[in-house]
Amino acid sequence: MTPDGLPAIRLDHLTKQYGRLFALKGVSLEVQPGEIFGFLGLNGAGKTTTIRVLLDLVRATSGRAFVFGIDCHRRGVDARTRIGYLPGELGFYGDMTGEATLDVLARLSRQRIDASWQKELFERLDLPREVLRKKVREYSTGMKRKLGIVQAFQSDANLLILDEPTEGLDPLMQEAFYELLMRTRREGRTVFMSSHVLPEVERVCDRIGLVRQGELVLVSPVADVRRLAARRVRILFREAVSPPRDGWPDGCEVLEVTPRVWHLRVRGPLGDLLAKLASLPVEDIEVPEPHLEDVLRRYYSESGS
Amino acid sequence: MTTGTFLLARHSFSRIRAVLIGLGLLLAGFQFLLVQVAAYFARENAFDQLSVLLPEFVRNMAGPSVLGFMSFGGIVSLGYFHPVVITTLVGLMIWIATEPAGEVETRFVDLALSRPITRHDAMTRSVLVLIGAGSLMLLLMLTGTWVGLTCCTPAGADRPAPGLFVSLAGSLAAVMAAWGGVSLAITAAAKRRAAAGGVAGVCALAAYLLDYLGRAWKPAQTLSAISPFHYFETMPLVMGQPLDVRNIGILMGVGTLGATIGYIRFARRDI
Repeated sequence: MTPDGLPAIRLDHLTKQYGRLFALKGVSLEVQPGEIFGFLGLNGAGKTTTIRVLLDLVRATSGRAFVFGIDCHRRGVDARTRIGYLPGELGFYGDMTGEATLDVLARLSRQRIDASWQKELFERLDLPREVLRKKVREYSTGMKRKLGIVQAFQSDANLLILDEPTEGLDPLMQEAFYELLMRTRREGRTVFMSSHVLPEVERVCDRIGLVRQGELVLVSPVADVRRLAARRVRILFREAVSPPRDGWPDGCEVLEVTPRVWHLRVRGPLGDLLAKLASLPVEDIEVPEPHLEDVLRRYYSESGS
Repeated sequence: MTTGTFLLARHSFSRIRAVLIGLGLLLAGFQFLLVQVAAYFARENAFDQLSVLLPEFVRNMAGPSVLGFMSFGGIVSLGYFHPVVITTLVGLMIWIATEPAGEVETRFVDLALSRPITRHDAMTRSVLVLIGAGSLMLLLMLTGTWVGLTCCTPAGADRPAPGLFVSLAGSLAAVMAAWGGVSLAITAAAKRRAAAGGVAGVCALAAYLLDYLGRAWKPAQTLSAISPFHYFETMPLVMGQPLDVRNIGILMGVGTLGATIGYIRFARRDI
């Protein structure tokens, strides 16, 4: 059971320093129970360090991390009874079978594994018994990742921490994994996943946090992030028109202008542009759904500035 | 000790059981073989000829202990201080003690320590495996000796007392404990098993050579006191002297200190 009123994850001014290098700089964040939270950032931004602090594999230089109100360092064992973890790099022993690996990890979790739930996981992820009886060294990258997903989900933990969960999975298995995440959300469990696959995050996450050079630069619901996106607008005219003499409305950036087609990028509301178009012979306006990527690319690219 | 310790220990033992059984049988076979060799010399009355074969400088260096060695009991005891046996057993201790570094290297540690397992559990597991594996090796060696002596001691041969082998095994256990502890201290800060094993192995080799030098060359005698092998005294035991508890204490102390450093370093490090 999750304790009421407590966030599933709370990071309180978390800082991790390696010599003069800051891996994390005062990161504060709350993830609510039942949420699927996407933790984004470029390689080396601090995603995995944050996860490792939550698991007490890395000790913060300052600040604290909590899981359901439990200090991840001082009461690490208690905190970890509530966590299912899928590492980015899977350290299975090649000389063990998949079955034996899952058995050892289940025992170490010290929680009873529901056999029917485990069977369902095998079925969803297409892991038949004959594959599980093979040595892990015979597994492909995707198979190992599937085994990793099973070991993270099998103990039915209240909080799932997933580091690049779909890396190496084929599209079919990615789909199966997303369905698994949806089920997890329906059951009220929390997912904290790091990823740099933006369409994936956009599809499954409720909120995202973006970390850049160790700093949390954005925390927002996915829908709000989309609204922040500059929209590409394509306006088609019935006859040739000239660009406005009195200038473009605020927030409009011209991408391409031909006599009958304008390609613009618009930040913010479209009202001023539509007012300007009212007197022109507009045939059609296309405003495609903005993608998370459109916003995040800007945040990523600002890293250098 | 927690359930986590036992689960990890069980996992470790199950992974290395084939190596342990194979190595243990080899060592037991070696002890059995030595009894056969000693029995052959005893039957042929060849111990005197054997000591004549030794170069004079070796006899001078070894002193009267060489006479103790050139006997039925001496040959039978050889397996408990033969360089190959010592290398094998110390090597085994280093290999087992470096498992935590191996788990950091393969990232198995992420899977294990992301569960309700403490870092102390991982280290205590290694201590348990060291004790278990070391005990098994010594037990099989003693069994090999016992089987050999029971079935093959020739009539009239001066069969050594069982206490001698227990004392020899005790000394060997102490030197194994010392190197197990030293290796734990090294492995606790290592990211790669080969690096940890390499450093521990080089330390063991250097310590062995230093002790050898100290025994052969008087000026190096004082310096050789820093080598754990300096406290591994077997000849006096073969000569009939009692086990020097001080030596055992020093070796166990080195092992305990190493393990303690290992616990502290592993608990504090980033993984």
